[in-house]
Order: sequence, then structure tokens, then C-alpha cells
Amino acid sequence: MFDLLKQACDAATKEGCQFADARYLAIRKQRVLSRDLALSSCAESDDRGFGVRVLYQGAWGFASSPTYNAKEVEKVVALAMRIARASAMALREGGVKWAPEEALKLAFKSKCDQDPFKVSLEDKADLLIASNQVMLKNKSVKRAQGYLLFKRVQRWYVNTEGAELESDVTSSESVIWAIAVGKDDFQQRNWQAPASNRGFESYRKEEFLVQAERVAAQAEEKLSAKLSPEGDFDIVTDSENLSLTIHESVGHATELDRVMGYEVSMAGSSFVTRDKIGEFQYGSDKVTLMADNTLENGLATQGFDDDGVPGQRWEIVKDGVFQTYSTGREFSHYIGEERSRGCCRADHWSSIPIVRIPNLFLMPGKEPLSPDELIADIKHGLYFEGMDSFSIDQRRLNFQFGGNGVWEIKKGKKVGMLKAALYQSRTPTFWNACDATCDKNYWEPHGVMQCGKGDPLQIAQMTHGAAPTRFRKINICRGRN
Amino acid sequence: MNRQQAQDFIADILETPHLGELQVSLNGVHRLGTRFNDCAVSQNVLKMQTTLTLTARLELKKASVTINTLDDKAMIKSAIEQVFTTCAHMPDDEEVMPAMGEVLETKEYAFNAESEAIEIETIGAWAAAACTDGAAANIDLAGLLSLGKRFNAYGDSAGGFAYERYHRSDYHVTATGNNGSGWAEYQGVSIKQDNVMAATKRAIEKCVKAQNPEVFEPRPVTVILEPQAVGDLMAMAFWYGFDQRAKDEGRSALANYHETLGNISFYSDPAYKLFPAISFSSDGQALGKSLWLDEGRVQQLQTSRYWAKKNKLAVKPAPNNLILSGEGASLDEMIQSTVDGILVTRFWYIRSTDASTLGFTGMTRDGTFRIENGEVTHPVVEMRWNESVLRVLNNVVASGKPVATGEDISMIMPALKVEDFRFSSLSG
Repeated sequence: MFDLLKQACDAATKEGCQFADARYLAIRKQRVLSRDLALSSCAESDDRGFGVRVLYQGAWGFASSPTYNAKEVEKVVALAMRIARASAMALREGGVKWAPEEALKLAFKSKCDQDPFKVSLEDKADLLIASNQVMLKNKSVKRAQGYLLFKRVQRWYVNTEGAELESDVTSSESVIWAIAVGKDDFQQRNWQAPASNRGFESYRKEEFLVQAERVAAQAEEKLSAKLSPEGDFDIVTDSENLSLTIHESVGHATELDRVMGYEVSMAGSSFVTRDKIGEFQYGSDKVTLMADNTLENGLATQGFDDDGVPGQRWEIVKDGVFQTYSTGREFSHYIGEERSRGCCRADHWSSIPIVRIPNLFLMPGKEPLSPDELIADIKHGLYFEGMDSFSIDQRRLNFQFGGNGVWEIKKGKKVGMLKAALYQSRTPTFWNACDATCDKNYWEPHGVMQCGKGDPLQIAQMTHGAAPTRFRKINICRGRN
Repeated sequence: MNRQQAQDFIADILETPHLGELQVSLNGVHRLGTRFNDCAVSQNVLKMQTTLTLTARLELKKASVTINTLDDKAMIKSAIEQVFTTCAHMPDDEEVMPAMGEVLETKEYAFNAESEAIEIETIGAWAAAACTDGAAANIDLAGLLSLGKRFNAYGDSAGGFAYERYHRSDYHVTATGNNGSGWAEYQGVSIKQDNVMAATKRAIEKCVKAQNPEVFEPRPVTVILEPQAVGDLMAMAFWYGFDQRAKDEGRSALANYHETLGNISFYSDPAYKLFPAISFSSDGQALGKSLWLDEGRVQQLQTSRYWAKKNKLAVKPAPNNLILSGEGASLDEMIQSTVDGILVTRFWYIRSTDASTLGFTGMTRDGTFRIENGEVTHPVVEMRWNESVLRVLNNVVASGKPVATGEDISMIMPALKVEDFRFSSLSG
């Protein structure tokens, strides 16, 4: 597989490129959807092709093709060169500055004990339909749905520096949900089996059935739940809920390409400007946010990125203080770092790599602390579980998030579900209001499989994680007025 | 692929021995895209791909397989076998419908010969010219200039066939100064350098006006929403609330809503000249004009073939464009008639907050201005809002001339003047 990729790099070198790389990807997917007692869809895909990226006189060119042979490789390199010359018509001062990286030869394979593509469709149907059956036993539930998504990405990467890398990553995701319908309202409750770089072994039918019964009952309970109070309250977020908050308010905010204006026209910029490195109090001293693209089963754990840089682990926030960004080889020089953090990924063989959020998680508390103990210290507050409405401004400051299940807390106990509750804050205000997070026994990872960024849009995946965590005096508002 | 090539390709596949009913979809894209920031090109990408989707049906079972290696006949044969094998293992689903089996005479409303001739160097040169204007104004420009040359083809073993070429150009640009930003776009099936330069000029002018915004304490107030803001909101409203089955089953905000929604009309029409769209769906259904709101009165919403058959309704497939009617008021007229208001250039990150009331949240972005006594007086710090689309449509007091907008789906939207729009917190 490497030979034609090397041919591409050799041809680019002959054309006078400073740097070039070539990637071949084979992407296999299967998506199975259930609707009540049927499978509404089973869609499989096999998507293969290669892309060539050339850096010529300081400007990028990129072209790609699904046809993989010597003649096509030659054609695609010529196209990439043509595009680089077009790019040079508006060249950044000094052109692209490219961080050095050791040329490695390595292979990475994610752990996958049970290949999801070898599991029968009957077993997948059984998992989803049995879950739907349980949800539909609840008379208020008028629609039960679920899906399974499996993805395998095989990648071969070569660059003009001599790197020869290959990876084979299998990812899995599943969600089930119930929609309860009342006289003048309807409510949805879901359960996400944490997405990860694992195979079918991560799904146990017994767990799906237990969760199905729970979400159906809670969907029904949401129908008659009272509307959320408004004002300042102490809140507790569960692992899944906080994972998305970490993603939006820390992950995206600390992508260096955003900070440097590369995403201004679409995803936006960031309030975390470079003068904040080592100085800015991002959160309280309880807040340490670790990036780790070597995390076992992490969705961004892929061995190496699409700049040819191996996965790494580093602190983005340590004891509340901002440390550094997620970077790629094009961006490290902006902060005086000699080496990329290895965060450049492309979502397809026809996409050019961009900086993506790594696996990123809130470190658990160092002292023993259970969720019950966390809640016990709240007189009147709210408990947010699961992911729901989420919106954040283009500089990653003002955000407003909901929860798929929200409970009122009174005198240290969860007392009943609430409807339409949202917490709204500013990123540093929120993280500085964190006064406790549970210990490592309660820490859980949660996957994000549909992170959109780039223009044209690219979809990436990564894992976040946290233990249940408490924030003091957060503004609560309602999604229904 | 041209029409004949696509027809021959599909015919070859349909002639391959297979067990049951087979639908074949071909989607070809040749997309040129130049992305820039800080007045310099950051990405320049050419994407060329044709994908083949095979959908098999065996009575009440259905499955699909998509591949992109179209030059490998053995792989296509293997994909046909795979899709029927998968299909045979599917449980029965009473909602599975047979293939359309109709030959559609398509008119290629969204095909543009001039767009077909544009090459990557032209796109690059136009983007570079825009960057030059930004640099001359000492303003950072960031944006994307892209042109998609596409075709869709469909055929099925019941005799159905459709083919259509179409174009989609998208230019959007953000101009950023020291303390404030502006934004503008051009959307259409054709594009010329003049379109690019005019949008660039608008973005720069808006950026200049948006410098040094002042705080407006968030509260309910009259807003004038420019077309992109209206389009973003209406697209979300459509996908969350305009499905007939969800309405009939009580899973839509419109299930329990029996009043009119203002007096505006909302519809889809692939032949709409200002921003036409492809006129058939991926499963070979013809898309005509569909009226969703007729002067505020809710009409039959998008309706699947299954739901239509079960309930004796007309089929209304998912559309490829959305159009909101407008009365043609100019932005200046709307501003002049506003005593206390806010002018919004665009929205950002709209998300549902309450599906049962069609409630959403979002932010203003890239140019938000205070209107006092009929004049734009100064820029304001960006804000978050929480609002129900049902209320918005009922609170429309003036509307402009519809223009092309929308990055994901073709939209033709007017500016709207809306009373009592609920801003909730400050951004920036």
C-alpha cells in the first residue's frame, strides 16, 4: 500500500515541494437504526481513496481521488501542485512554517475484541428491538428508537521526510431513546452507551434493557415534571453532561488554529489568546484538564495524526491555570513550541487535516468523594445528567447547556425531575465556580462522534470524561417560556 | 458522468443478476474550494468523487450499501451481493415501500453553464482579489469561496430513472477589525467575480460600522433580522417541527398548536428562479412546489410515502430548498419605523431548547446594532437569545424582499422585523 504513496511524495519532491504527504484511507461504516419494533434502516458503506498534500513555496495544495493507481497518483500530484500555485496568489507573510518531526515507521491498531462487522445483523437487531420493546411497555412512550454505528478506518501515511505510518481503528457508538407523549406535551429521554474505540464487546444487552426501562420511566416523568426554577443555583453535572461542556468551552477554545484566526469565518475564534499561557486562571484549583491522545479506547487515539505526529499527553489546564493549546505542525511556531502536539486530523481522504480537539478530560478529585456526598452539600440546586441543548458563542465564552435529565436538589437530595432547565454562564466564570469533583471511582469517559469544524465542514471524534462535579451559583434559565 | 453515461452505468448494474428489487443512486461531486484567513489562503481543496448507493428490497425488508470504487466491476458485483445478503437478514418493517418506478423528466433548474466552466485558478484568483481589498482596508478577511459541480442519478429495477446536474456556489466572508466584525455572503447556482467583490465590500463596510460595540442590556425588544438570521432560524424550525407524522402522533410543536403563525407563507419549490435546487429526491421522487404555511395557516407538512398511504394523504418528500415570502420592505424602511430595536446581521449556534414549543437559543454574530428613533445609532455587544419560532412568526410586523442564503440547504429568505424578541444574556 505504501508504494504508490511514496511515488506521490517522490513526484512532489521532484516538483520542488518543501514538504508533501500522502494518505490512503479505507473507511467502512455500518449504521443500524431501529424504530419501535422494526429496524428502519441498515446502511453500510465502503469508502476508499487517497489525498496528496503539497507545500510549495510556502503555500498548500491538496487534491484527492478514489482511484488508486500509478497514473492517477501522477495526475493527483499534478493537480495538488496546480492548486498550490493558485494558493500562492494570496500567500501568508513568510508562508507556512512547518515544525520538525522525527520520521517514524510505526503501526497502530485499536483494541477490538469483537469485530462489529462480523457480528450478525440479527444480534444487532435483537439489541435494539429488545430495548425498544422495554421502552414501549411504558404506556406513555409512543416512540422508541435506537441506533448502532460502527466505523473502521484503515490508514496508510507517507511523507517526504520518510515517515511510514499505518493505523487500523474501530469505533462504536449506540444511543437509545424514548419519546413520551402526554395531553399537551412530549418529552424525550435517551441513554448513550459511551462511544469508544472498541468493538461490539462494549455493548451488553442486559445493560441496554436496564437503561431502556430507566429512560422510558424518566421520559414519562418528564411529562409531568415542573418547569425549572430560574436564578442562581448550585449545580452538579454528571460525567456525560460535563463531557460536552468540556468539549465546547475548553476543547474548542484551546485549538490554536482558532486562536490564530484560521476558523474565524465559520467555527469562530477564541477568547484564550496567547498572552494567557501560564497566566490565565481558567478555573478553580480543582480544575485540571488533561489532553491525552494515547488514552486507551479514546476516540482520538489513533497512533499518530495526519501530520505524522504520534499521540501525546499534556495538561491544557493545571490546577486551574491555562498551560497550552492543541496544535498541529503548521501552528506550533505561533507559541514558540518546537514540536506539534499531534492534533491535526482529517475526516476523509478528500479532506485536508485541521487541528482537532484531542481526548480531553477533567481529572478526578484527589480526595475520596462520592456523588451523594457532592449533592449533600447543596441546599437548593439542580443535577444535570446527559447531553441536551448546547450552544456557545464564537469566542467560546457565553454558553448555555441543558441536560437530558435534570433533577431538583433540595436539602442535599435529588427530589424530582425538572423540565426545560438550562445553565448559562461564561467559560472562566463557570470553571472558577467549580468547588469539587468526585474521585476516580466515579470518573467516566464519554465519546463525541460528531464534532463539526472546518469550512467545508469536517466531522471528527474524540473522548472526554469527568466525574460528577459541582459548580456554585450558576445562572439557571428556562428553555420554555 | 453525463446523462447517457449515468443511464448506461445504472442499466449495467440493474442487469446484474440480483434477488429482488434494486434501487441505484449515483451522486457525483466536483467541488472547488478556497479558504482564507488574515487575507491569505489557508486551504485550497479540490474534491472529486462519485458514490454509488445500492438499496435492496425483499418484500418488507430493505437495506443499503454505498461504495465509491466505481471502476471495479468485481467490487460492484460484490456490493450487490452484500446488499441483498444484508437485506435478507433484516426483520420485516411494514413501512418499507416499493421503488418509485417512474421516469422523471427533469429540467435541471440549478444547472449553470458558466459555473461548469470555472476552474480552481479562477476561484483562487477571486479569493486573492478579495484578500487584496481586505488588506487595502487594513481589515482581516476570513472566508470560503467554493463551487460545487454535481450530478445525481437514480434508477430502479421497476423502470424508474432520473438524472440532473446542478451547481452550488457559496461565498461567505468575515471581516474583523480591532474591536468588532462584519459578515456577508453570496449564495447561488452561478457566481461571478462581481458577486465576490460586492459581498467582500459589504462585509468590510459592516465591520467598520461594528467597531467598539456598546453594551445593550439584554431584554425583549423589536429586532430586524437580516435574511441569514431568518434562514438559520427557519431551517431549524422546519427540521424540528414540520413533519406531518410527528404532528399527527403528538411529537411536534404543531401537534397542539391550532392558531395561525402570523401571515407569512413558507414553502419549497425547486424551480424557484432566484435559488433553484435539484428536483428529485435520493429515492427517485419528484419534488414539486410544497406549501408548508399559507399566509400563516399550517398546511400538510412533509409526509413520507408510508404515512401518506396509511392516512390517505398526499406524499410530500423532504425538500431541497426553503422559501419564506416577503412583502418587499427595504431594510431602511424597517429601521426608520423602529423606535427601540436591534439590527441583527446573522445568528450562530442555534439549538433546540424545547421541542414542544419550538423553542431555540442562539447568538448574534458579526455585526449587531442598536436602533433608536428610526436610526442605527451604534454597534452593540453580541447577545444570546431564547425564543420560540411560534412567537417569532406571530410577532412579524414587516418583511423584506426574499434573497438567497443558507450554506447547508438553499434558502430564500427576507429580512424580518419582529416585535418582542427575547435577548437573554451578553456575549463577546
